[in-house]
Amino acid sequence: MIKNFIEKSWLLIVASLVFGLLLAGTNEKLGPMIKKQQALKFSKLAGNMIEGADKFEIVSEEPVKIKSAKGKDIEVKSLKKGVDKDGKILGWAFEAVGSGFADKIKLVIAVDAKFETIKGFGVLLSNETPGFGDKIGKPDHKFVTQFAGTPAEDLTLSKIGDYGKVDTEIVAISGATITSNAVVSIFNTYIGQVKAALKEKGLL
Amino acid sequence: MASDKKISLGNTFFAGIWKENPVFALLLGMCPTLAVTTTVGAALTMGASVIFVLICSNIVISMMRNLLKPHLRILMFTLTISTFVTIADLSLKAFLPDMSTKLGPFIPLIIVNCLIICRAEACASKNGIVISIVDAIGNGLGFTLALSILAAIRELLSTGEILGFTILANTETGGWYTPWAGMAMPVGAFVTLGLLLGVVNLINKKKA
Amino acid sequence: MDTFQTLVLGFISVVVVNNLVLTKFLGICPFLGVSGRIDMAFGMGCAVTFVITLSGTLTWLIDHMILMHYDLEVLRLVCFILVIAGAVQLVEMYVRKFFPPLYDSFGVFLPLITTNCAIMGLCLFLNLWEIETLVEAVVLSFGGGIGFTMAICIMAGIRESLLLADVPEALQGAPITLITAGILTMAFMGFAGMIR
Repeated sequence: MIKNFIEKSWLLIVASLVFGLLLAGTNEKLGPMIKKQQALKFSKLAGNMIEGADKFEIVSEEPVKIKSAKGKDIEVKSLKKGVDKDGKILGWAFEAVGSGFADKIKLVIAVDAKFETIKGFGVLLSNETPGFGDKIGKPDHKFVTQFAGTPAEDLTLSKIGDYGKVDTEIVAISGATITSNAVVSIFNTYIGQVKAALKEKGLL
Repeated sequence: MASDKKISLGNTFFAGIWKENPVFALLLGMCPTLAVTTTVGAALTMGASVIFVLICSNIVISMMRNLLKPHLRILMFTLTISTFVTIADLSLKAFLPDMSTKLGPFIPLIIVNCLIICRAEACASKNGIVISIVDAIGNGLGFTLALSILAAIRELLSTGEILGFTILANTETGGWYTPWAGMAMPVGAFVTLGLLLGVVNLINKKKA
Repeated sequence: MDTFQTLVLGFISVVVVNNLVLTKFLGICPFLGVSGRIDMAFGMGCAVTFVITLSGTLTWLIDHMILMHYDLEVLRLVCFILVIAGAVQLVEMYVRKFFPPLYDSFGVFLPLITTNCAIMGLCLFLNLWEIETLVEAVVLSFGGGIGFTMAICIMAGIRESLLLADVPEALQGAPITLITAGILTMAFMGFAGMIR
């Protein structure tokens, strides 16, 4: 009976093995490259905001846990310190996640060494409305640049105002209030808690 | 005999591009057509991936065509196609990560793209390797062409640029053209494709 | 109570706000092909809902219990499509045995559900959205199916009325359906942002 089975499906079995090997081989070769690309994206975005940073090092092996906006326990990914060639800490950068208009939004937030001023943010992942919400992905846009120099405290969103004023009031993108609000709420969720966690670890 | 084969190769190639164009004539692969045509870059990447998967799977299936038992056929097709799509997906993630996140789940969805299974069924499982390759290239190019046309229209009207080259100066950068944001959204996709298909129908009618 | 609220909101979000057909561009082929008549559309919708719930749950389980556990994520796509094909076979056998007239009226559409992007798409979205719990996966899969059914039935209703309208010859068939679908998506955009 087994012979009959093998007779009918030998091609399937052989093909599965061949394909399995092919996939395993491709994964072996490309896997490390994929991981490197992801780390590269983070360093590029963070490096643009923290000038002079030579490399970014993980803060601690133990993951830093904070509470999300909805009260869920989440881990802060890629909490790194930006150090220059002498090892001096120039700033902190970490991944921050929140839900936007269409889908999840993943940002890289960068703050100064004392965690008192925000340096800015970059977008790792966003599926916001093209032409409106996706402007957060343009680093030259006034919405994005207004974050530079903002104090690292609770931020508020307002629909109209002066992009140039540096304070805790963030002016929304016109036509993309929900996306702008999502970014602000991501900041509010992460900044306070990450600062507290770093203080607890004695790193601040 | 040789000239017969040559004619049918040419025929096969051009059939895939216009007469039996997967998107315009056979209405296959609608989902990626609507989803990835926001920019020409994305459309070209998708097209290239589809061509890659088509060629590889057509070759493999053509090689196996005499060994395929009837009830295992679809299973074998699916297995082959999903393997090559996984390879394409991994390659994109490694070499073009930004494009990969933009295309999102639509690269894996090439597996269920009726186009590829159709080609495997209709051509690769019945013909030799050379014809299968030509068929794959023809259909793949036809698909890419259709996607690119749609993407060009959408990208031009929604941002005034194509592949980063500004063609219509945007109001944001001080030009005269106010972009039609609707083109970048689902509405633009559906309506543009519908109108394009209408145009294709008109052209075909005029020819006949 | 909180989880219940999350589930209800998640369900509504997949059915209306993130409708698989009208916002995520999935399931377009059957959407264009089967939406001629309301009864056929509804039948297709039901079949798809059943398959999608089954596949969504199974693929989520396989993904979390086996693939991620043993670092076999590269096999994800192959596993998913095989599970979906298997689920469709199951549904086909079930319908053929217990509802023969329904089976006859479906014809070739039932096996075609395997190539319905909506099912594979939803399984991949469950992965992309990093859904944590089994219950959430089941509810979202079911919601996806319901959303598809809703979209295809609305379309069928509109198309039946379109039969009486004076459509230009070049636009008859697929083109006018697509344009109508476009207007439908605009309507559904009104729901966006409803749920945070």
